[in-house]
Amino acid sequence: MKTIFFTGKGGVGKSTLSAAAAWQLMERGNRVLAVSFDPAHNLGDIYNIKLSHKKKRFKRTNLYLQETDLEKSASEYIKSNMDLLKQVYSYMSTLNFDSYFDILKYSPGVEEYAALTSLEKILKEEKDNFDYIVFDTPPTGLTLRILALPQLTISWIDRLIKIRKQILEKRYTIHKLSGTYDEKGTKLAYTEEEDTVIQNLYNMKDRYKGVQDFIQGENSRISVVFNPDFLSLRESQRLLEGIYDLNLPLGTAFNNKFTEEELEVGNGVEKELTKQYPDLTIERVLLGKNKKTDTYIMDKDLIKSF
Amino acid sequence: MTTLIVVVGLAVYVLLYLTYGKKLERDVVKATDDETPSKRMYDGVDYVPAKAPVLFGHHFASIAGAAPIVGPVLAMAWGWVPGLLWVWFGNIFIGAVHDYLALMSSVRYDGRSVQFVASDVITKRTGKTFYWLVFFLLILVIGAFGAVLGNMFVGNGQVPSAYILKLVAALILGVLMYRVKMNFTAATLIGIVMLVLAIIGGHQMPINASRGTWMVVMFFYIIIASAIPVNVLLQPRDYLNSWLLYIGLAIGGLAAIFSFTGFTAPAFTSFAPIVSGGQPSPFWPVIPLIIACGSLSGFHSLVGSGTTSKQLESEKHGLPIGYGAMLTEGFLSTIVIISVAGFGLSIIQGAGQDLTVANWGNAYAGAMNASFGAATTFTNSYAAMVDSTFLSIIPTEIVKVIAGMWVASFAMTTLDTTNRLGRYCLSEIVLPMKEKNEGMYNFITNRWIASTIPALIGIYLAWSGSFTILWPSFGSANQLIASIALLTGAAWVTKRQKAKNVNVVLIPAYLLWITVTAAIIWFSVVVLPGTIEANPTTGIVVLIIEIVMLIMNFVFIIDFLKNKDKPLVSEA
Amino acid sequence: MNGGKGGVFTRLFNYLRVFFSAMDKSHRSQVTGMTEFEQKELENLFVLLLMGSFMGVPSPPSFVAAELLPHLEHEIKVLNERAKDSFDTMAEMVGTFDID
Repeated sequence: MKTIFFTGKGGVGKSTLSAAAAWQLMERGNRVLAVSFDPAHNLGDIYNIKLSHKKKRFKRTNLYLQETDLEKSASEYIKSNMDLLKQVYSYMSTLNFDSYFDILKYSPGVEEYAALTSLEKILKEEKDNFDYIVFDTPPTGLTLRILALPQLTISWIDRLIKIRKQILEKRYTIHKLSGTYDEKGTKLAYTEEEDTVIQNLYNMKDRYKGVQDFIQGENSRISVVFNPDFLSLRESQRLLEGIYDLNLPLGTAFNNKFTEEELEVGNGVEKELTKQYPDLTIERVLLGKNKKTDTYIMDKDLIKSF
Repeated sequence: MTTLIVVVGLAVYVLLYLTYGKKLERDVVKATDDETPSKRMYDGVDYVPAKAPVLFGHHFASIAGAAPIVGPVLAMAWGWVPGLLWVWFGNIFIGAVHDYLALMSSVRYDGRSVQFVASDVITKRTGKTFYWLVFFLLILVIGAFGAVLGNMFVGNGQVPSAYILKLVAALILGVLMYRVKMNFTAATLIGIVMLVLAIIGGHQMPINASRGTWMVVMFFYIIIASAIPVNVLLQPRDYLNSWLLYIGLAIGGLAAIFSFTGFTAPAFTSFAPIVSGGQPSPFWPVIPLIIACGSLSGFHSLVGSGTTSKQLESEKHGLPIGYGAMLTEGFLSTIVIISVAGFGLSIIQGAGQDLTVANWGNAYAGAMNASFGAATTFTNSYAAMVDSTFLSIIPTEIVKVIAGMWVASFAMTTLDTTNRLGRYCLSEIVLPMKEKNEGMYNFITNRWIASTIPALIGIYLAWSGSFTILWPSFGSANQLIASIALLTGAAWVTKRQKAKNVNVVLIPAYLLWITVTAAIIWFSVVVLPGTIEANPTTGIVVLIIEIVMLIMNFVFIIDFLKNKDKPLVSEA
Repeated sequence: MNGGKGGVFTRLFNYLRVFFSAMDKSHRSQVTGMTEFEQKELENLFVLLLMGSFMGVPSPPSFVAAELLPHLEHEIKVLNERAKDSFDTMAEMVGTFDID
């Protein structure tokens, strides 16, 4: 199973391209899943079909479509955790979780987490169902944060594991010297096997490492989409820098909406990019329109097999 | 005579514990069977009840130190009677009362420290003062104990050698207990064996170095020891110290009882013999600065209200633990006085000093300092006392090493923990500076700067200053904290307890405050000028500290008197 | 069956047993005292780092905290206790670290 992420500034046409790429791959005989993480969901509009967070088969083809509502899953996630916490800490008045609930809905990081969880879920559940999964991503900033999240989380988890080990070590020492360490019946864990916290941490680390390894691996590509204008160039450079920093494999970059009028600017933009990133492959793309059938035509194969 | 004084001392303490102590418990503290914070607020973290004997041991080990030994040795200049009276009655009516009230007021305040209690029964400003005073105390204690240790290490090279071996033993014990996780009893036995080996080893292989060298070694020891994890050195070492304390106390106690020797030191020399800085020092008000911990110590209020109060199982345990432990420490000082009174003269004379009963008042302090220094005067007298009994089977040189190790161990524990605390107090003190001068604030609280400031100033004082100057200055900071703590206790008794006979506490508290203030003024005016002349930097540093403390002291008493009849800060 | 003598010895024996057991307990608490203090503070720190995100302090992603918190009842108690005491720690440290 292989994944392709279409990234880029809003409006450059990544939704269109990802939709087209998904179609083309399907036509070549692959089972394809197209997922949209972009809050400004265009996928359904492009295929003229109502979509939800559950994958939906397009007509009778091997193409499935899905639109993940990041905001909805973010608030669902918060709610379920808050409910659990409220239940466990019902007797604790110090931290007023009820009032924090609303604030947390908008707190930074939750949307990224929702996206990451979605990504994790899709990778896990659909890896045997599809040959290709094509992702339409949110605008640059959010996408970079999402892609950085596994590594960031792993770093934090490592640090927390370190502290937790020290805590367990000290508890064990005290247990050994002073006898059983417990208070009012609750036994405190002093070995790693008994400690649910560190087991959870190890668990989380494994999960995020799984995602991290996959998106850094040979079955994953990130394609940057841009337009032949210099505003687009700046954004693309930002994106490429981020992708390089995160050690993620680059796929073909697409110079979209490339018309004859834009030739000079387009060349200039491409030159800048290849100067900075000599290994970058760039494809010029222009979506044609069949006026008769009122459908769009792609003039080339977007995704070469990898 | 030694035996007589031991028995009388024991009797005095026990009798007054049962009469005066019980009276305090009944009428002033009004101890009840109410649940103490350790039970009421039990959390398995800080608030955990401990059985009385265990808590007593813990509390006593925390308050026992080198000061109750060193102070009385210097106080012998007045003859053995005045010091003894202070150790007995100063302890019973002031010192132990101070400890007891600090403990019980804390218990009634949900285990909050005396600092917190002070900020409620007096003013918030008083609470803040503690940071300053403790900080100064930490510097001065490094200075005083550094000087004591420097003199002792130079005087008898076997002691530092034994101590270093003991450090090695502590490191090994730490590994056994915490890494290998050996059975505790087995590890203890190995620890004791290593301790004995350290004593013998030190005796066989003395280390001779100059005073300056020891100062440098101590400076680096302080820095390093306060940075390494507690399981590596501090904890196992403190544990070994307990065993050393048992051995020292046991041998000393037995020796004192079975010695049956007369005193060779004069009972009373004069009201103002030469004690500090070569100046005639009047017994009143100077005695608290000299015999601090044996009779009254500000440290104890912090220890008692810091950890002990949160573990007290029952209010009725407060008397034996708070009051009783202090009396026990007084008993320890009694034994010190007895040993020097019985054997000190010949020892100092034996070192070639011109000391007689006749010129004792003028000559003692100087002769003692010049020949052995206070610590070694004690260890040698102690050894002589042991030698005069059936315990003489233990070689005298070994006994000297044991006693020396005892003093050194307790003095050294002070040195390495003060730095950890000094950093903390310093950061609290300069906090107000953060807004006004952030650059300076960041500089002072920088980890490396903050770590070295207390140690640097302290060791510098130890290196350059004389023991008879440094000891009273340490005493002054200690006694200032004690007088504030006792007045806090008095305020608590007045405002919270509404006990009828508050004067039982209030009068000693006022008297103490007046005494300590007078003593510090005397010290600054009479003694320090000489120091400034001989050693300007040292003298000025100490003088500045004394002046700042005095100012805080006056601000404090004004706050106290103004708020005496006002309600508690929390209820205002 | 010399009641008097046997009684004294058993009483003495019991007394000594209690005495040495107390001494043993006191010693054990002595060699773990500072470690307990450290453990407490580490647990406090652990939860503080986790919870920081709920209080605006930069910290691990909040979802890590949310997943772990249900298992950290004891540590949160420690956090609360230490927070209550945090302004009054000097005396406690003087007591824990054997200065005198």
